Amino acid sequence: MSSASEKRIILRADHVAGAAFILFGLAVIALSGNLPVGALSMPGAGFLPMIVAVLTIIFGLALVLRASAESPPFAELDWADGKHALMVTAITAAAIALYEHLGFILTMLVTIFALLTIVERRNPVRVGIYAILIVGGTYVSFVYGLKTPLPEFSF
Amino acid sequence: MESTLFSLAHGFAIAFQPDNLWYAFLGCLVGTLVGVLPGIGPLSGISILLPVTFGLDATQAVIMLAGIYYGSQYGGSTTSILMRIPGEASSVMTCIDGNAMAKKGRAGAALCIAAVGSWVAGTFGVIALTVVAPPLATIALKFGPPEYTALLVLGLIFLAYMSSSSLVRTLLMACIGLMLGMIGIDNMTGHFRYSFNLTELGDGIGIVPVAVGLFGLGEILATPSHKVIGEVIAPKFRELWPSRKEWGQSFWPIGRGTLLGFIIGIIPGSAHIISSFLSYALERRVSKNPEEFGKGAVAGVAGPESANNSASTGAFVPMLALGIPTGPIPAVLIGALMVHGVSPGPQLVTDHPDVFWGFVASMYVGNLMLLALNLPLVGLFVTVLRIPYAYLYPLIIMFCIIGVYEVNHSIVDVWIMLIMGVLGYALRKFAFDPAPLVLGLVIAPIFEQSLRQSLIMSNGNYLIFFSRPISAALLAICIILLAMSAMTFILKRKDWRDKLAEAEAGEPSA
Repeated sequence: MSSASEKRIILRADHVAGAAFILFGLAVIALSGNLPVGALSMPGAGFLPMIVAVLTIIFGLALVLRASAESPPFAELDWADGKHALMVTAITAAAIALYEHLGFILTMLVTIFALLTIVERRNPVRVGIYAILIVGGTYVSFVYGLKTPLPEFSF
Repeated sequence: MESTLFSLAHGFAIAFQPDNLWYAFLGCLVGTLVGVLPGIGPLSGISILLPVTFGLDATQAVIMLAGIYYGSQYGGSTTSILMRIPGEASSVMTCIDGNAMAKKGRAGAALCIAAVGSWVAGTFGVIALTVVAPPLATIALKFGPPEYTALLVLGLIFLAYMSSSSLVRTLLMACIGLMLGMIGIDNMTGHFRYSFNLTELGDGIGIVPVAVGLFGLGEILATPSHKVIGEVIAPKFRELWPSRKEWGQSFWPIGRGTLLGFIIGIIPGSAHIISSFLSYALERRVSKNPEEFGKGAVAGVAGPESANNSASTGAFVPMLALGIPTGPIPAVLIGALMVHGVSPGPQLVTDHPDVFWGFVASMYVGNLMLLALNLPLVGLFVTVLRIPYAYLYPLIIMFCIIGVYEVNHSIVDVWIMLIMGVLGYALRKFAFDPAPLVLGLVIAPIFEQSLRQSLIMSNGNYLIFFSRPISAALLAICIILLAMSAMTFILKRKDWRDKLAEAEAGEPSA
């Protein structure tokens, strides 16, 4: 039986990954416009980036062409941990944005508290005590033990 | 040989200085904890702790960081045996039979065999390193830019050939790494490349934010805490000694694993991971009772644990003698030495004998320390393993931010770490191994410089790589490896990965 559904091309993980690498290679070539490629006897700053970008495109194409033999359907990729990853990324991004302004102590207290109460849904009182002990201990170890200064509050 | 022994004695004099002994101990202890804790591997452990070594001299720094590396190989087995969770990637094979032994009440024996096997392999590895590295460095002094270019190409091809993922995937990752390594000011012409007017990118992207992001944060993003559950089997101290039969069963696997691991360690790739897989497959193949594998075979613990420790020492040979990393961890160690003003390579032995021989001698001492640490402190490690992962990963994120920020006091580096973390998460979803990316990033400047210097030397004639005997021989090996991969693809033959998968599954190889 050869129904239309059987003949339909299934979008596979490597189709997506390969296409992303091809786009990346093309973007590098586009961004290399002002870099001199030079000559073989005197290669310029754009010489190796151009070679590597072309290789990336070739390997990306190979990935796309071999996708049906080697790769699972894109729809079958397990994204169950996506929500966890997204929340951790967002909280970490906020911590990085605040790090040099709020300083180490405040930023890390808030970050650990947020990760444990929002992402992990743990008891806020226990989390608060844990965060104070950990952040305080780390601060003392780095600043006084290892003589490594950490960012201070600077608003 | 006499001069080697004399230099080694000088190394021991350095290694036995109280400060150096303390840093070796600290490295071994932290490394064991890094190996014990799931979700934080040796690469992120070393990267996060790199800034802590800035106040130390180069010898102390490399002694401590190397201690973390080989200490993590010891520690990884504890989690594998007691929880059936690999503390780090090279301990995956130990999970199978190590945990099966633990369930039979032989957890202590499994831990002891793993520790003794690791010690034998680690010590053999250091002896081989002592003998092999100095003469190799002497040969490497004859290398010019064409030889270095050929050697780096061979490294990349070997990496792709030996990698557990496919050739195309590995080369793609290496290309992305090379591309990232070219960001910043071009050393030869002064052009700014892909820096988007960010002055922080002028010096290029550092290895620490990339390594911590891909391997530290990326792992955390991909590991929700509810997935990290496991019961810890706590052995009693008196149960640690294996029976005479178990010693007998572990003798040859330790020997084979040690030899196999060291050879694989010298070859580029994630050697300590691959060596444990190959050792497990080998032991299963040579065993008179292959049906016991998976049910608590002693050889299934002794072989892989010896192999991964021997491989991690073997990886230091090309790093110290040639200045070329064979994997992401030696790459970070090279970065650490460079931060301290020491360039690994053929001249390391002559220019910095204290660093080289102090480091080598400290590894003899470190391996003994690990043997002494691992067994008596097993109770402490069991306690650490009982801390819920939900409470551990915020701590790891905090150390990732501190570690990356403290290298250059640059918040841009920390943003790069976050981007790399997200990239690492996506790469895992699409079954890419990020290790070649880190390697590409590190070798990019050396590769580009030697390639361009070679072309300038030959006035643009590519035949320079084939007209010099050493580079021609290295490129010939590259061509043979590529031809073997092409044959496998065209003739639809099984390559070593397929055969290894079959051996692990216990199926016959066609």
